[in-house]
Amino acid sequence: MQRSAHAIWVIFLSFFIAFLLAIVPFPEWAMNYRPEWVPMVLIYWVMALPYRVGIGSAWLVGLLLDILEGSILGLNALSLVVIAYVTLSLHLRLRMFSNLQQAGLVLALVGINLMLCHWLQILSSQTVASNLMFLMAALTSAVVWPSLFQLLRQVRRRFKVR
Amino acid sequence: MVADYRFGYLSQVRFGLAYATAPVYWVADIPTRVSFWIDDVFVSRTDLLQENDGLREQLLVAQRSLQLLESLASENSRLLELRDATQVINGEVLPAEIINISPDPYSKRVLINKGAGDAVFLGQALLDANGLMGQVVEVLPFTSWVLLITDSQHVTPVEVNRNGERALARGSSSTANELELDFVTQTQDLLAGDILVSSGMGQVYPKNYPVAEIISVYADPGQSFATVRARPLAQMGSTRHVMLVFQSGSSEGPDLSTEANSADGDESTPEVDSSAARNLN
Repeated sequence: MQRSAHAIWVIFLSFFIAFLLAIVPFPEWAMNYRPEWVPMVLIYWVMALPYRVGIGSAWLVGLLLDILEGSILGLNALSLVVIAYVTLSLHLRLRMFSNLQQAGLVLALVGINLMLCHWLQILSSQTVASNLMFLMAALTSAVVWPSLFQLLRQVRRRFKVR
Repeated sequence: MVADYRFGYLSQVRFGLAYATAPVYWVADIPTRVSFWIDDVFVSRTDLLQENDGLREQLLVAQRSLQLLESLASENSRLLELRDATQVINGEVLPAEIINISPDPYSKRVLINKGAGDAVFLGQALLDANGLMGQVVEVLPFTSWVLLITDSQHVTPVEVNRNGERALARGSSSTANELELDFVTQTQDLLAGDILVSSGMGQVYPKNYPVAEIISVYADPGQSFATVRARPLAQMGSTRHVMLVFQSGSSEGPDLSTEANSADGDESTPEVDSSAARNLN
């Protein structure tokens, strides 16, 4: 299974772009609807290359995201590790799914990610509990997922990322 | 992991990791810088001349008010000397730019482009041209996070400019850019339109910087406290150019000493009289 790595930089680049999209300022009203780019890109790579991107990478990506967002260290790391684990255990079935089913699962995974982050933030009193509008991001993520999936798949095939 | 952070072991790690994430901010900021650059380069001569004239006029007006202010300041310092109070701080400022805002819609924080390399420190006050914006809560190598005064976790000690009534201005718990005044009794003399300035209590913010303007006072007879809402004077959402305040030397405890003086009352009166006499001679 452990083939030699090829074009790993594509993975780094995709995460870099996801980081960019995650911190680019949005207008106030649209903040709740920003798709969760980093978890989605992570889900894709875990699904496509489970031997290359796994729980360890999810943890590293989460740490970097924590620094970027200025949240407490380990918040995104923990929630990304959780969704990476779920994706890892489902990746064979996930590849067989239709676009719609995949989008449904992404909705659930990103939802879990958001809930975990929100709970941890309330626990560490970084934010106050308000309404559930923050879950709208899971919906927009699911809407964006099929096109992101196609894009990343094309990129992976084009550069023969292994 | 999370617990670790709460005990503060990991601030060094954060500082180190921030080196790795700095390029992301740098790239994310490119579009803004390019648009500024385009504005700078493609601007006609007449526009520049016009802008120059406008700025010159503004400068004249500002200098006139500064003259008034200087006379007031010197008068104020004479009066404070009479009361043996410490001089009000007039610190230096470091211009900075806001390069990002927090992606979390419930926390109002901004990222500025000055960090540990520019001697930024925790708790430093951030201003824009119109008023107080917030304080530094995390210092990274090249950037720092600033908690805005409108964040629901943030409380600013303020006083009313008109009569010196003190209050605590907490950030609104909704996403609105507003402040709410806590624990204001029904009988306190606050009116819509009053300007709130920082009172300097709590030793975080320098004294007398404008903070907010009261927009509504609602005294419900059934409640023990009045509901007072205020709008921050700083342009939270639209400004990019801000200033960091460095307080010079004698900033420690100006309020405490004035408090002590006014509390002493009778005992300090002869002293004040003598110093007044000295000053007059």
